[in-house]
Amino acid sequence: MATGTKDPATEQPRSDAAPPADGSSRRHAMPAGRVLVTILVGLVVWALLYAPELKRSSEAQPEGLRRTVSLAVLGPVVWVEDRLGVTRLIDNASSAFGRHPNEAVGGDDAVDPLPPTPPDTGHDRPRQPRRDTDLRVPSASNPLRVVVVGDSLAQGIGTFAERVFRPNLVNVFREGKISTGLSREDFYNWPARMRYIVHQARPDLTIVMIGENDAQSLVTPDGDTVAVVGTTGFPAAYEERAREFAKIATSQGGHVIWVGLPQPRDTRRWDFIGRQNRAFADAAAELPNVAFFDTWSAFAAPDGGYTAYYRDGSHVTLVRTDDGVHFNADGYTILMHLIADFAQEQFQLDPRTYEG
Amino acid sequence: MLFPTTDFAIFFCLVFLGHWWLNHNARAWKAFMIAASYVFYGWWNWRYVFLLAGVSVITQLAAIAVSRQHQPRRRMTVMGLGVAATIAPLVYFKYYGFFTVNVTNAATSLGLHVAPPLIQVVLPVGVSFYTFMAISYVVDIYRGDFELSSWSDLFLYLSFFPHLVAGPIVRPNELIPQLDIRRDPRHIDVAGAAWLILGGLFKKVVIANYLAGAIVDPVFGDPARHSSPEAILGIVAYAVQIYCDFSGYTDIAIGVAKVLGFRFPQNFDRPYSARSVQEFWRRWHMTLSRWLRDYLYIPLGGNRRGNGRTYVNLMITMLLGGLWHGAAWHFVAWGGLHGVYLSVGHWKQGKRETGRLAEPPDTTLVHWMQRLATFTLVCIAWTLFRADSVATALTLLGRTITAWSEPSPLITIPVILAIGAGLVTQFVPHGPADRLKGAVSNLRPVPLGIAIAVVLFVITTLGPRGVAPFIYFQF
Repeated sequence: MATGTKDPATEQPRSDAAPPADGSSRRHAMPAGRVLVTILVGLVVWALLYAPELKRSSEAQPEGLRRTVSLAVLGPVVWVEDRLGVTRLIDNASSAFGRHPNEAVGGDDAVDPLPPTPPDTGHDRPRQPRRDTDLRVPSASNPLRVVVVGDSLAQGIGTFAERVFRPNLVNVFREGKISTGLSREDFYNWPARMRYIVHQARPDLTIVMIGENDAQSLVTPDGDTVAVVGTTGFPAAYEERAREFAKIATSQGGHVIWVGLPQPRDTRRWDFIGRQNRAFADAAAELPNVAFFDTWSAFAAPDGGYTAYYRDGSHVTLVRTDDGVHFNADGYTILMHLIADFAQEQFQLDPRTYEG
Repeated sequence: MLFPTTDFAIFFCLVFLGHWWLNHNARAWKAFMIAASYVFYGWWNWRYVFLLAGVSVITQLAAIAVSRQHQPRRRMTVMGLGVAATIAPLVYFKYYGFFTVNVTNAATSLGLHVAPPLIQVVLPVGVSFYTFMAISYVVDIYRGDFELSSWSDLFLYLSFFPHLVAGPIVRPNELIPQLDIRRDPRHIDVAGAAWLILGGLFKKVVIANYLAGAIVDPVFGDPARHSSPEAILGIVAYAVQIYCDFSGYTDIAIGVAKVLGFRFPQNFDRPYSARSVQEFWRRWHMTLSRWLRDYLYIPLGGNRRGNGRTYVNLMITMLLGGLWHGAAWHFVAWGGLHGVYLSVGHWKQGKRETGRLAEPPDTTLVHWMQRLATFTLVCIAWTLFRADSVATALTLLGRTITAWSEPSPLITIPVILAIGAGLVTQFVPHGPADRLKGAVSNLRPVPLGIAIAVVLFVITTLGPRGVAPFIYFQF
């Protein structure tokens, strides 16, 4: 089917009849070869300048070919720059622009600043409870302190926790951090962060939603691997991390709602996430003042599988985003209401504290 | 594949080499560029390439059918069917969930039992953009404004990677002729391209990403907890964020095309300097505005059928424009509000033309008051656009009035500086920038490359870690 509008045989290099309106006629143009040199010089020099940061980012990546290749390329470059003192110069330049080169790659930005430590009367906070206790009844002068921690899912419920809890009775602190988890403490050290949060804010209730990024080997803050994902030792080691994290969160008498992971659309991940949820549930069952909320069941289709919709009686709501992992605004709102109801059931959360 | 990533940098270097190496061989060049564009698109999800190819095939078959019809009524019918077939995938992917939920709940409230399959349809990136380009092609052929192109030209027109995922919405007569003219490898405006790419990166990585995290997301996330100054500044910051995000993307797209020897239409022309909402739409997402005008508003009758019909046409155009941005009622409300703005503007214009409404004084002070009023109206509409529901938007707008006594910790010097920087770009004259580009164009490749690297280092260091997707990818 000959449908073309031009005969390629008559093609000529373009010569613009009128000067373009963007001022390019007043600029010197370059031939393609020199442009390529310009691009390559630009990218190589940028890569050299940015190599320390690129290496830190690569170290934080999940294990795999991409990480291995990146580190193989960047490692020697940064080694040379370290010896020449270039890294220090670059880091100083980065600091001048407000980026602290030695902070954890996961960073602490985009989380709420925590309040100064409130006075601890010692009366309403049993330090070593033997069984579940009730959440205290808040007042306008002494509102409940609720902290939401975890990964991007926690960021979502953190936002909607602020809407669901009544501001006159509850202070919500959103500490969710995108791309984080319990596996890679070298990327983001959640136990350390949780200790800081407990010390600084002494939360009455900590809502934990974490684990979406944890299909990785367990690594210490120093970069040592303690359990390789897929090995027999991984589940027990992972559960131990969850248990230790919950212990930290309850160490000052606070309560924890551990929000389980929802089923993703990708059925290949169900087995792993199912085991994660069992680990969270088992840890919660062992510890006082820790309760596990089963998100998977709450948002499952009638056949137990994945659905993007939530049915409340006959009313249907789209609750999941296109990625098949996260919730949309309606989904987080429903989830947060379910969590608040669950906290009331488990820890007698004052029903005045949230919009029922 | 996102522009501000090392993946794209490597991809682009390879494409640049292949592009200029095959420049003399039209057939091989087109095959290479189509393949490269499909790799670029498939980087998100390889399944998407089948949709892109499918839309391309449907578009070309529709165009062939239209071009073979010479009897006017049948030609129009074939064109209508062709457009319907072209737009069908977009309707399915974008509106199935919206339609299903609303129909099911409306039926339930009426006591009826309707149970459409509750499946989640994932919207592929860019489909809204290349579908509109496909419709342009079929309609332009119907109108006789453009001739039928070859299959390879059509495939490349729709898939050409610089515009593929978020525009600009390039019309057939702007791009397809460029595909058949051999590009001149001796004259590449590298200074102009670098300005666009680095400027676009700065707007996106430094300003838009910073404002999103520092004030926009918190304020829109929970309006009820923020003071009036924070609510106002949050809304203004979103106006700056979406401008820097979207115009940043199109600047990069236009710059990338320029390095390959292509010229794309301008998509933004300092929109917040507009003195009326009509002018705003001539400066904001210009390729969408003219698309809506030429393929929706004018075919509906435009302003040729009396005032009443003009208002109806404006409302239909803007409501559908809102729905194009997303399958949610707050987008419809955003479009509807702009429809009201434009209708009021049309009404005032009519009154002025007949002398029943005085022209405002032509003074600098009045011009600035008009700019401020237009910006305020646009910001009110942006609130509906950004909020996750109409109710949230109304809560936030309410907070701009009712919470003046509360503290405003989100208002910081960097936030004000970032907003200021975004707004100042609306009023900087072109002259100094052109002179700077002229000076940069005198540099030889190595110094120019080093200068680019230093600017890139500053941008990547100033921006937050990680790569945030562009706002318009979701549309």
